[in-house]
Amino acid sequence: MAIRFRQVSYAYPGYGLGNYDAIKDITLDIAAKGEFIALVGQTGSGKSTLAQHMNALIFPTEGTVEIFGKTVGPKRDRNIKYNELRRQVGLVFQFPEYQLFEETVEKDIMFGPMNFGVPEEEARTMAWNALGLVGLGPTYLKRNPLNLSGGEKKRVSIAGILAMDPQILVLDEPTSGLDPRGKATMMDLFRSIREKTGKTIVVITHDMDLVYEYMDRVLVLDKGTLAFDGTPDELFHMPRLDRLHLDYPATIRVLSAVAKDLGIAIDVYQKDVASAVSAIQKAVRP
Amino acid sequence: MVMLLSFLEIRNLSFSYNQKRMVLKHVDLAVERGEWIAVLGHNGSGKSTLAKTIVGLLRPAEGTITVDGITLSDETAYDVRRKVGIVFQNPDNQFVGVTVKDDIAFGMENLSVPKEEMLQKIAFYAEKVGMADYLDKEPSALSGGQKQRIAIAGILAMKTDMIIFDEATSMLDPTSRRELMDYIKTLHQEGLTILMITHDIEEALMADRLVVLKDGAVFADDTAEHLFQRPEAFREAYLELPSALRIYYELEAAGDMTPPLATTLWRFGSGK
Repeated sequence: MAIRFRQVSYAYPGYGLGNYDAIKDITLDIAAKGEFIALVGQTGSGKSTLAQHMNALIFPTEGTVEIFGKTVGPKRDRNIKYNELRRQVGLVFQFPEYQLFEETVEKDIMFGPMNFGVPEEEARTMAWNALGLVGLGPTYLKRNPLNLSGGEKKRVSIAGILAMDPQILVLDEPTSGLDPRGKATMMDLFRSIREKTGKTIVVITHDMDLVYEYMDRVLVLDKGTLAFDGTPDELFHMPRLDRLHLDYPATIRVLSAVAKDLGIAIDVYQKDVASAVSAIQKAVRP
Repeated sequence: MVMLLSFLEIRNLSFSYNQKRMVLKHVDLAVERGEWIAVLGHNGSGKSTLAKTIVGLLRPAEGTITVDGITLSDETAYDVRRKVGIVFQNPDNQFVGVTVKDDIAFGMENLSVPKEEMLQKIAFYAEKVGMADYLDKEPSALSGGQKQRIAIAGILAMKTDMIIFDEATSMLDPTSRRELMDYIKTLHQEGLTILMITHDIEEALMADRLVVLKDGAVFADDTAEHLFQRPEAFREAYLELPSALRIYYELEAAGDMTPPLATTLWRFGSGK
């Protein structure tokens, strides 16, 4: 396992453990390869706090987080190169587009690798590759990031993290503020990055439709504790998700209404519109 | 000549940030007092620019904006802002005070409301948005939904007739989002005029009328019932129909529609 949380708790200085965005007694493992994980929960449930432990951006108040063999505890350890951990686990903040500051897209993406001591020409090659991974062509290299659309800016900032070739990519609400098409494009992008590179990807989101359609594991935080760790199918088979402040995906809600109104049996657990249509056809065709 | 104006009248409005590309193109829009309008559109369609232009944060290249009979200009921007308030997407960007109380007071301070009256109003509007217990808290200790309610209290305290919500729920979790939408519904029933910018089609269904922007121009302006009968128009505007209606149109195309199926899917999809 690449990341192991062992009974991790964190409290913001000056606030107690039960307070806003604190986490309590979290134990979980994340593999280095091929996982596509959703981290969900109410605002203030501790999602961003948990994510920031994944690359030692913050240290636990109690417990330990093992990241690629290095054990991060409450105290700073002089034998650990924290910068190296932050390169291995790339964290993309919410609204990363606010952090673009160079005059060209190329310079912006090169900034990270050069900051980690990569020579300029090598950093340039890394930037070009990363730009391709996020689906933007070489014509973008010389453009000013400030003149790009919201979705394009998000891609450039993700490319900036990818250029450092992290083994695991953690993204805090990468689809918020995007229109439905922008959301689908972004999720397709993560899917393709995972397929091409095998990297594990962790995404914080409130969107259950995306969780069901794209992800294969869900972590649910509720008031700072890990309330669920399993597949989306297992999660959405549970009754009363409102108690975890979650919704069911639209496909399940629509198909449940159809089954109830028409008094017929339908397999409501469909991940997208196309399979929902097939499920109805199967139920109503003679 | 007597002209009957709507509460908000936008005529032939155009805007450009850099002279090269027009972000808004000849927009005409009228909103009646007490009406609830949803503005939909793809990223970059000009929705937020429209909102900022209405409250005088951006100056149009062409066209006029009239609010309750006052035509917006540099001289009248102050008066217009007493009639139209705006709540932004990211609650963190609209907080300036050390405590919740300071934040509700901020708008009133700009309007030179006397201290005694201001304290009364802070207490009254904090109660109204259900945040009376949080007056002395730091805004940073609140959840996103709570922050948005404080932002609304500050605007309500200025007694504006209209509030523009610029993707105000997009950063909230489903529970906070639903609470905020229920609260907006109450305000609307009390007579508040609402212009709500959103990417969420289910949220837009709570409005009386949908205005669809595409590439800076008004592409459609109609009720949801009518718009949903033109799925091709949604596609052309780069928008997505509610899942229930996408299922509806696919079943119809496959020849598998039955009347009871149609009833359920349409009711679910149009929120009626």
